[in-house]
Amino acid sequence: MAQLELLDVGHCYVPGEGEDRWALKPLTVTFEAGKTYALVGPSGCGKTTLLNILSGLVSPTRGRVLFDGADMTRRSTRERNIAQVFQFPVIYTSMTVYQNLAFPLECRNWDSRRIDAKVRTVAEALGLGDRLKEPARKLNADDKQLISLGRGLVRDDVAALLMDEPLTVIDPQLKFSLRRRIREISEQFRPTVIYVTHDQYEAMSFVEELLVMKDGQVMQQGTPEELFESPRSAYVGYFIGSPSMNFLDVTQDGSGVWLAGQRLAMSWQPPAARVPAEASGAGAAQAGVLQAGIRPEYVRLASAPGPNTFPARLQAVRDHGPLRVLHVEIGGQRLALKLAREAGVPHGDTLLVELPRAKVLPYVGGQLATVVAG
Amino acid sequence: MSRAYLTFKYAFIAVWASFVAGPFVWALTTSFKDANGVQGGATYLPWVDYKPTTRGWQDIFGGEGGVNVIQPFLNSLQITVLASAISLVLGSLAAYGLSRYTYRIGRMKNADIVFFFVSQRIMPPIVLVIPFFFLLQFAGLLDSIPGLVIVTVALLLPIAVWVMVDFFNNIPREIDEMAMLDGCHPFAAFVRTILPNSLPGITVAAMFCAVFGWNDFFFAFRLTFTEVQTLPQAVVALNSSIPPWWTLSAASLFGISPLVLLAVWVERYLSRGNLAGAVR
Repeated sequence: MAQLELLDVGHCYVPGEGEDRWALKPLTVTFEAGKTYALVGPSGCGKTTLLNILSGLVSPTRGRVLFDGADMTRRSTRERNIAQVFQFPVIYTSMTVYQNLAFPLECRNWDSRRIDAKVRTVAEALGLGDRLKEPARKLNADDKQLISLGRGLVRDDVAALLMDEPLTVIDPQLKFSLRRRIREISEQFRPTVIYVTHDQYEAMSFVEELLVMKDGQVMQQGTPEELFESPRSAYVGYFIGSPSMNFLDVTQDGSGVWLAGQRLAMSWQPPAARVPAEASGAGAAQAGVLQAGIRPEYVRLASAPGPNTFPARLQAVRDHGPLRVLHVEIGGQRLALKLAREAGVPHGDTLLVELPRAKVLPYVGGQLATVVAG
Repeated sequence: MSRAYLTFKYAFIAVWASFVAGPFVWALTTSFKDANGVQGGATYLPWVDYKPTTRGWQDIFGGEGGVNVIQPFLNSLQITVLASAISLVLGSLAAYGLSRYTYRIGRMKNADIVFFFVSQRIMPPIVLVIPFFFLLQFAGLLDSIPGLVIVTVALLLPIAVWVMVDFFNNIPREIDEMAMLDGCHPFAAFVRTILPNSLPGITVAAMFCAVFGWNDFFFAFRLTFTEVQTLPQAVVALNSSIPPWWTLSAASLFGISPLVLLAVWVERYLSRGNLAGAVR
């Protein structure tokens, strides 16, 4: 395993394109050795490009790629010794399951006894032990993907294991056990794992750090907890969490922050919004509008009026697994909150919701506002 | 499926089959006739309409007053096999490169380069034969098998490249990417993972090469004199002021037989979609 670094790496597929349209805008990231990372973001946000730059399938337009400090930018895919699993299973149709799994080791000139032992161990772990002699093309998509995964696992000296939405084609039931297996393997061998997914649960369930990407940029890098507790932008707040974070437009004057005509206390006092006088309409809203962000998990129902407690109208109730999601309206703005199922649905459509001060974060123009000293 | 449709379908197939097979059947019967059998109107049934004889077949295998087509046959075989093999090897390599890497020669991109290859076959052969003549003369290869092999490769290579580029473009790129991730050099990735999946494409290209190489008359006719004679030349040489239809028919049938056998043999490789399910 190795520490992978990207220094000012950017890529565009159309030569001569303006930098604002690059598939991957210049970025610097370090993936520490032995840690598990996830890249999340919508389709086309540059996740796969980033992986392919790491594995050398794509040569970056700009920047340097370092493995343990050694410059690998111009090295071939073969020399980088990376295992990668694609979204769709890739198998060598002319070979058997055994030959498929042995192929990466044969390419590295291992001796046949060592190959045999290793292939059998991995095949056993993947549940393919009794199908080694079958032609690989006869297997179904799930099992083919297991072979793809297996080819990544037979080499235990890889610099990193890159997985590009490997569970997309996998049957939901198998997905769960396969995910657990990937986690076990990553805990056992401690390879550097970079896992691309658009399923945030998949990502949150077994990675140490997440990188949320959008339009070829990393919006935020952090532990699942950091991304959940303090998303640095409204985008990350929307993307991580289900239902996504609530953002309420609030106003600010000399005496404080106001929501629906009532005072709202926040985690910290946002800096006074600077709306340029000439900006108006949507431009002004985007430029400097002040919003209060709070996770649906932290909104509480209150029984009596109090600080940070607002009257709300119940709009809808949705089942959400063991929880219920209540959609309410405060002063014309929608807010979601999560309730335990046993709490029951409140009677009547008027209720009181409490926004705990410690969990209300200020956002200015879609970005988490900085703490103002004093 | 209605009865009328079925009747129509089989009637159509029958008409089409006789249309295709007719000339061959006619050549086959003619090859067993003699001068009496071909003069004075068409005859169809052996022993009834005419008296069958193997004279035509004897004449092409060194019978008295005939010729021996065995040596021309072997010459053609050597030239076709060698030229096809060279074209397939060079053609697959070129095609793989054109399919997987980006090239630019001046304003020409990959697709233009492929078209440039194919455009070699657009030129009328007569344009090429004079330069070929001088080039072979310069190299001392006129009237020799190596000379004809070189010329035939030049004719077959565009076909091989064209067929194989199209075929490789349909093989998912992920397969060679995966092979390189697994630790192959690009060339090893090609040989070990792409070629085994390319049998149908190679078969098509080989078939084209064999047909064009085997049937070439013009270049062999212009670039050889006495030492080397190919089968098409030998067949044409059988002709005279009174055409010996029986020997010509026998020679023609003998001439196409390798291609017919080849077609029957390779058919199984064409229909097998080996690549289905390599990705996804």
